[in-house]
This record gives sequence, structure tokens and C-alpha cells, in this order.
Amino acid sequence: MFKLIFLKELRDIIQSSRFTISFAVCSVLIILAFVMGAQNYLASKAQYDAAIQENRNQIEANTDWVMVEHSIMLPPQPLMTLVNGVLNDIGRNISMSGRGELRSENTRFNDEPIFAVFRFMDLEFIFGIILSLFAIIFAYDAINGEKNRGTLKLCFANPISRAGYIGGKLAGSFVGLSVALLIPILIGCALLPVLGVQLSADEWLRLALILIAGIAYFGVFLAIAITISASTVKPSNAFLIGLVVWIFAVLIVPRTSVLISGRIVDVPNVDEITAQKNRYRTQLFDEDRPKMSNFQLPEGTEMEDAMGVFQSFMSDLSATRQEKIDLFNARLNEQYTNKKRQQERLALSLSRISPSSAFTLAATELAGTSLTLQNHFMDAAYTYQESYADFMNEKTGSNRSSGFRMVMITTGGVEEEPEPLDPDELPQFTFKSQDISSAARAGMVDLSLLILFNLVFFGGAFRAFLNYDLR
Amino acid sequence: MENSTIKAAPLLEAINLTKVYEDGVKALNALNVTVREGEIYAMLGGNGAGKTTTINIFLDFIQPTSGQALIHGVNANELPLEAKKHVAFVSENVQLYPNFTAMQNLDFFARLGGKSNYKRSDYENALIRVGLQSDAFDKKLKDFSKGMRQKCGIAIAILKDAPAILLDEPTSGLDPKAGKEFTRLIGELRDEGKAILMSTHDIFRAKEIADFVGILNNGELVAEKTRAELEGVNLEDLYVEYMAGYMDEMAETGSSLANNLSET
Repeated sequence: MFKLIFLKELRDIIQSSRFTISFAVCSVLIILAFVMGAQNYLASKAQYDAAIQENRNQIEANTDWVMVEHSIMLPPQPLMTLVNGVLNDIGRNISMSGRGELRSENTRFNDEPIFAVFRFMDLEFIFGIILSLFAIIFAYDAINGEKNRGTLKLCFANPISRAGYIGGKLAGSFVGLSVALLIPILIGCALLPVLGVQLSADEWLRLALILIAGIAYFGVFLAIAITISASTVKPSNAFLIGLVVWIFAVLIVPRTSVLISGRIVDVPNVDEITAQKNRYRTQLFDEDRPKMSNFQLPEGTEMEDAMGVFQSFMSDLSATRQEKIDLFNARLNEQYTNKKRQQERLALSLSRISPSSAFTLAATELAGTSLTLQNHFMDAAYTYQESYADFMNEKTGSNRSSGFRMVMITTGGVEEEPEPLDPDELPQFTFKSQDISSAARAGMVDLSLLILFNLVFFGGAFRAFLNYDLR
Repeated sequence: MENSTIKAAPLLEAINLTKVYEDGVKALNALNVTVREGEIYAMLGGNGAGKTTTINIFLDFIQPTSGQALIHGVNANELPLEAKKHVAFVSENVQLYPNFTAMQNLDFFARLGGKSNYKRSDYENALIRVGLQSDAFDKKLKDFSKGMRQKCGIAIAILKDAPAILLDEPTSGLDPKAGKEFTRLIGELRDEGKAILMSTHDIFRAKEIADFVGILNNGELVAEKTRAELEGVNLEDLYVEYMAGYMDEMAETGSSLANNLSET
């Protein structure tokens, strides 16, 4: 009986004009998301390669490492362009200095602010917004539509159980629509290498997990729509309720959770912290100013050594001051980060009551574009800062903190043609996104949540139908 | 020795069937109806008389408050899956699955009724029997007229090959030609030995085809006549006579409503 209802449901879905239209629209959108993702990736990669080359040219144009303005960049990765997450919101470049705070700059939205308004059409958008809405459109009349057509009565005039019927219907709807979605998804995947995007085995696995999360998310909305259909008489009412649920789950809950967590956990704003840091820096500089004014060369210092002695004095003063600033900034940063993370954790926990948030979090964790991306990038930058500082110390005798720089140019003597710098001498910055096991572990929480949502709502549909008035 | 007729065993039987809804409305009050092999029983009555409630109890869509509904001797509310093996159903305004062809609809419902060994020719024969042309076999139901869909519904009932058939307002909304064709088909099924319980508003068709006519009013069987008893009787007059109380009540409600409206 289950098999018969299951096959009937599959056939009914496939032969409906609603399916033909939705399938066509979904296919176009899904394939478009893959194509646009691939093009974005290739464009970002070209931009990244050009920026790296520009950095090299700039180094090669110099003859002294003191003059080098070195930047590191977040390398583009294919999965990141398929599931954007926070990728476009964080700065991609960091101007490197040997010590002190690093700041990421130049977000994608700086270059293309129009996308900040309308966002990109990535896989997360297609699943999160479009497919969840299609699930509602497909299944809002799954049960009450049959009742209105009289087919429910006709079916149950035969020796069939309610459990077998609803089980077959749920499974048929889910498999029929999911398999239909898989077709454009597989075409999209096959297009990636053709379009010049090569994924590693690790990335294919991540993409597969993202797609599983997407299908599970689609299943949640399908089950929600069937539950509503099995709890209402009129399809028009079911559609309206489904739409309200969708609006709450997709649009309201994620935003509200951020607002609520913002109210509960008070995080000082960045400008406030920057002002505190600047005040402290000025205060220390003011304290050092009399020392600088009162500087006197030790007695008996030769004139040719004077500059060296003064530079050493200033360097020591600056180092001591910077040490204090670093300590102070680190303390402020830690306080800020702790508060911010507390607020984020609360917002994420609250938002997880919506399957939409669970899907977004699972997909972005697996793609490496979750909230942690910026932290990973900054951690990698700070790690690189150490090797960069060592290199600069070795080359220039100072670690090139920003600000004070003194260059002494001597004339006379034998002129030597300075050698251009070799960029390959500079330590290479490497950025590796979270490894698959860490990403899967982080994404698994939300993937499990999506599966739980499926069980709950499929159970809800089952239960609602067992009590449904078949007349 | 007396000349007696040996009666067949009842295939559809309502015994003191009573249904009181949660809001206190009494939909059926101790209804007793028996339909035997080769008989057509027509239940006549206005809206809310209890005709559809009776059919819904036979199909186990609602539980009776008391009494029993037996199909082929099986209690329809205690062993519904067993009872439903012995009954086919044709509802009012059958739509079936609009995206399926006639053949696909027949195939699905035949399998649902436990007939999985039918061939295409069996479906074709059933459709031809109900008067559908061969060019309609593979058309989707959404392109069918109401009469054609109703014919498909009867073909489904024929294919189930159950000894009893329940018909709920089967001629409602059909044009006279389709209604006449329907009457012919029901007559054929009766002649094949099916026990048919039919709810209808159509007094003339009931008189034309039924072996028994029961008039229901407010859940009570107020009259039951055999075909012989109806010979030479104007069923319309009889119906109005038995429904007089109901009609008076309606008229009273109507006039008080009219008064209220004129006052406002």
C-alpha cells in the first residue's frame, strides 16, 4: 500500500503543470547560481593574482626593505563563492606591519556596493529563500486539496490505513521533489570543472554535505506545508498559514534573534574602543614627549655616531611605549571579543529555532564562510606577522611598526648601484580554511538540527493526518 | 404450503444507526436500512436529512453514536479495512486525479481496491462499458467534463467488483443524457447482483430505478416504500407529504427571516 501511494504521489507530482513550471524555474536558478559562483570565483582569482603581482612589482621597484608597503590578501576559494556567507562583508586585504594591530580592509562591497543592497544569488540564497518557498507552494494543498477534489474519500473507501497513506504521501513528495532538485544540482556540479573551477576532494565532500543540508532544509518546509495542509480544510487558508510560517522562519526569526541578543548582551561599539585606544596612545606619547625634549647625547659622542645613538634612544622609547599600547589594546580587544562572541553565540542559539538559520549556519560552516572566517583570516595574519617581523628585523634592523621611520642618506664616497629587492625573500602568507573535519563538526550541529526538524514536522504531518476528518 | 420468497443475505445493513454530533445535533436516529443482493435502495431527503451521514458511517469516516453498519456482515466501524473490501463507492462530483489520464486513475484505484492483476484491456472494457470513447482513455482528467469524470468514477466502482456499492448523490449536476446513462449503468449493476445504497435528491430517478425508496427527515426514516408500493403513486406528492413537517419548519424560518429583514 505504501509503495502504491508513494508511486502515485511521484506520478502526480511529475505530471502536474505546477511541477513543470517550478522545476524549470528552480533548474534555471540553481544552474545560474553555479555559473555565477564559478564566474565570481574566476573573477576574484584574477583580481587576487593581479593584486599579488602588484605587490611583487612594488617590492621589486624598491631597493630597501624599509620602503616596502606589504599587503596580504584573503585568497578566493571556489566553495566560498558558491556559499558567500560573510565573505563579501569582511575585508580581504591587510596592510602588514611588524607589530601592533592589524586591520582587514577593502570588502567586496567596497568595490561593488550595489551587491550590498541586493546581495549575491548564491546557493544559500537559492535554497534558503527560493526552494523553501517552492516547498510551501508545492505541498500546501497536499491533503486538503485531495479532500476538496473528493479523491481522499475515494481512496479511503478502499481498505487502506491512514498511516500507510500519509507515509507514502510524505515519502513520495519528498523523494519526487528532492530528486527533481538533484538534477539541476548535478548539472551545476558538472559545469564547475567545465567553467574552469577545480575542486579538491575535500571541497567536493563539503559541497556534498552542503547539498545534503539543502535537501534536508527543503524537506523541513515540505513537511511543514503538509502538516498545515493536514490541519486545515481550505487550501487557501493553508497557503496563507504556510506563507506566514515561511516569513517568520526565513525573514523574522533570524533578524529578531540578533536584535534580542543585542539587547541582552551589551557590546561596546568599535568606535568607542578605537577612541579609548587613541586616547591611551596620545597619553603615552605625551608622557614621552619631555623625555624626547630632554634628550642629550652622552658626553664624548662622535658626531658621526650621533644619529645612531638618537635612533636607538627613539627606538627604545617607541618599543616601550608600543609594549604598553599592545598590552592595553590586547586587554580591550579581549574584552570586546569575549562580549561579541557571547552576543553572537546567543543570537545563533536563538536563531536556531528557525530551520532557515540552521541551514545558513550549516552551509556557511561547511563552505568556510561562517562568522569564524574573519577570525581565521586574522589569526593567519597575526601568525604571519611574526615571521614578517623577524624578516624585517633581519633586513632593516627594525620590525617596521607603522609611524616613525628615519632614513639617513649619506653623500660622498663610492656610489654603489642598489640592487632591486627580491620578493621571493619575503615569507609567503598562506591561508587555509578550516579542515574538513573541523568544518563538518561545526556544521554537523545544524545539519543534525535540520534532520531533527524533518523528523518533528514529518511526525507532525503524520499525527495531524491520523486525526484528519476525511469527509 | 405458503408461497414464500427466499431472501438473499443483506449486503448493506444499518441497524438502529444513530449519530449525535458533539454540538448535540442528531444526524441519525435509530436508522434501519437493509439492502440485499440485486437491490437498489434510494435514500431521499432534504439537506441535513442524514443521507450522507449514513454513507459516511458505512465508510468509517465517522463513528456512529450507537447502532451498527454492516457490510457483507462485517461491522464497518469495528473492522473497517475488512468491510471496505466488500464495498465500492461513487461520490458526488467526482474529480479524481486531474493530472492522471483515465487509464492511470483506473489503474491506481483498482490497485488500491486490491485488484493488481488487471490488464489495459480490462480498463478499456470498463471505460467502454460506462460509455467513454477510446480517444478519452489517455486524456488527462482535467480535460474531462463532469459527466465524463462521473463515468470514470463508476468504472472505478465496476473494476473493484465489490458486492455492495455506495452512491452519494451520484447524479447531482449531471445533464439529463448523462443522468439517463447513469441510470442504465446502475440498473445493469443491480442485475449483476450488486447491492446498491444510493443517496439522492432526484425523486424521479429514484422512482425509475430503485427497488426501495426510503424518505429521511431530520435523521429519521419517515417512510419506506417498495417498487411495487410506488406503482401508480406520485412519489413527489408522497415526498412532500412526508416532508411536510420539515417544509413547514423551513417556511416558518423563511417567513420569520423575511419579517426580520422587513423590520430592519
